[in-house]
Amino acid sequence: MTVNANYLELRHIEKRFGDFHVSKDVNLSIPKGRLVALLGSSGSGKTTILRMIAGLETPDSGEIVIDGKVVNDVPGSERGIGFVFQSYALFRYLTVYDNIAFGLRLKKASKSEIDDRVHELLKLINCEGLEKRFPSQLSGGQRQRVAFARALAPNPQILLLDEPFAAIDAKVRLELRTWLRRMITQLGITSVFVTHDQDEAIEVADDVVVTNAGRVEQTGTPRELYVNPKTPFVAQFIGNTAPIDNYDKFQFFDSVGPETRAIIRPEFVSVSKKGENRQFVKSAEEGVVEDVVFRGSSLEIKVRVHDVVISGVRSVNDPIIEIGETVDVFIYRLIIVDGEKIVLQENKSLRKESVVI
Amino acid sequence: MNLRKDSGALKWTLIIIGELFLALFLILPLVFIVRTSLEKGLAVYFKSITDQYAVKAAFLTIKATIWAVVVNTIFGVCAAWCITKFAFHGKKILSTFIDLPVTVSPIIAGLIYVLTFGRQSFLFPLLDRWDIEIIFATPGIILATIFVTFPFISRELIPVLTAQGTDEEEAAALMGAKTWTIFRTVTLPHIKWALLYGVVLCTARAMGEFGAVSVLSGHLRGKTNTLPLYIELLYQGYDFTGAFAASSLLVVLTIIILILRVWLEGRGNKDADIRK
Repeated sequence: MTVNANYLELRHIEKRFGDFHVSKDVNLSIPKGRLVALLGSSGSGKTTILRMIAGLETPDSGEIVIDGKVVNDVPGSERGIGFVFQSYALFRYLTVYDNIAFGLRLKKASKSEIDDRVHELLKLINCEGLEKRFPSQLSGGQRQRVAFARALAPNPQILLLDEPFAAIDAKVRLELRTWLRRMITQLGITSVFVTHDQDEAIEVADDVVVTNAGRVEQTGTPRELYVNPKTPFVAQFIGNTAPIDNYDKFQFFDSVGPETRAIIRPEFVSVSKKGENRQFVKSAEEGVVEDVVFRGSSLEIKVRVHDVVISGVRSVNDPIIEIGETVDVFIYRLIIVDGEKIVLQENKSLRKESVVI
Repeated sequence: MNLRKDSGALKWTLIIIGELFLALFLILPLVFIVRTSLEKGLAVYFKSITDQYAVKAAFLTIKATIWAVVVNTIFGVCAAWCITKFAFHGKKILSTFIDLPVTVSPIIAGLIYVLTFGRQSFLFPLLDRWDIEIIFATPGIILATIFVTFPFISRELIPVLTAQGTDEEEAAALMGAKTWTIFRTVTLPHIKWALLYGVVLCTARAMGEFGAVSVLSGHLRGKTNTLPLYIELLYQGYDFTGAFAASSLLVVLTIIILILRVWLEGRGNKDADIRK
């Protein structure tokens, strides 16, 4: 392992604001060129982590390491960081051109260098021709891209983004997500962004760091977090989850202990019409449909089984299921929470039939 | 919604009350000032306002006003900047103390300085040794004027700076901008109109200050008499024409400031529209 394997590292970071313990022994390692999301609900301490990396806040203890050097005492402006604020914080009395050129002018770059770089970036963010506008004359999406260009202008080694999509309306947000991911991958710049939106984190990031109440709960690729949650919080936070208390009522699942409960996701549940030819019909349980919700690309079926309402997903192309219909419900797996431990339990009948598949 | 359309009666009643009030309490006295000052003819009027003591009083007023505006601009910008951009202990206290001059009676403000720098003060021997005159001299008048006008500029700036937040400053700092550059390129353009507006208010208040200055001045004609004090002196001496002529000087200055104020507000609003 080379030194650069972990380009940005946080070691045992502690931070308090008065009585409020915002960071509790935060440890992070981010390899060069990775795009990492800090995911958590508001108040989980994710923005504080970002601001400490940028040097806008100082940790009470612990080390911030960039490229092998402890940078705790290095001012933010000398850490080689580009920062995109949630509000974008574009200088409202400067034009788009001057906004992007701001950092370069401070670095005493020559006029022609600045001009080349600004135009290069304007082209990159698809905002050519807007250089004379003021921030208030731009759309939300354009502002975000200008903020991005301004942060990138001095060629930072690390790009930090605080809730980059929070202030944009839903449709543009989706476009920008894809755009930002493409840009960052293309530039190969180590990036960290903060978000409270798990879809955003999962879709955009290479790695996701889940934070909760000042702690890092789990770090991993979106898939790892999804398939293999390590803590009850992550299991519940990631995906569209619902709790089930008495899961031992379901066939083919064993109770792990008295104080345990289960978490279920719609993807774990297959709902089929009576007589519809599906796998595992024999090991399915009967349920009554309570509600059918059209989700655009899929249907969410809410079924009451053993007096518990669980949701399953069905394709819009599948035969229509009506409310009140009796259906077959097959649960592939459950996430069992046992105190602080997580156990994944597969439907027992899968083990037998898996030979056939 | 009917409120807007059908209540013509209510609308006109309110308008008439408003205009009558203004006419009675503002326009009428102003007209009266002009009338009385011109009662004995233009010649007497011009003689009154070019009287050497009147001119000296006017200059002293302008001098005190300039001092107050300069000092309070520097202090006001610093105070507003530190109150809105930094978190520190004692911020609330500082913020409360800034408002103190508005709540304290000007007479008391004057007395505070008499007690601080007067003969009975422990500072007096020091001042005396270095030949520094404060009480009953121009420095006292300037001090009193500064004191009473001291919240005007910072109070205009604080809401504007609070609304702006600290993001832009942080963004500039992260790119390596020094404090002065940040102030010049980010903060100053934003507070420009509020600052000018504060300066106008401060000027208006400084020119008209009577109470605190009265306590500190000593009323030496031609030396420590400001325009408001001079007017009072003439008035007490039954020189109504003189008093009202000098008043008209103050009125003219005030009207200039009012026009400036309206113009500044218009410019500021226009600017805010473009660069929200």
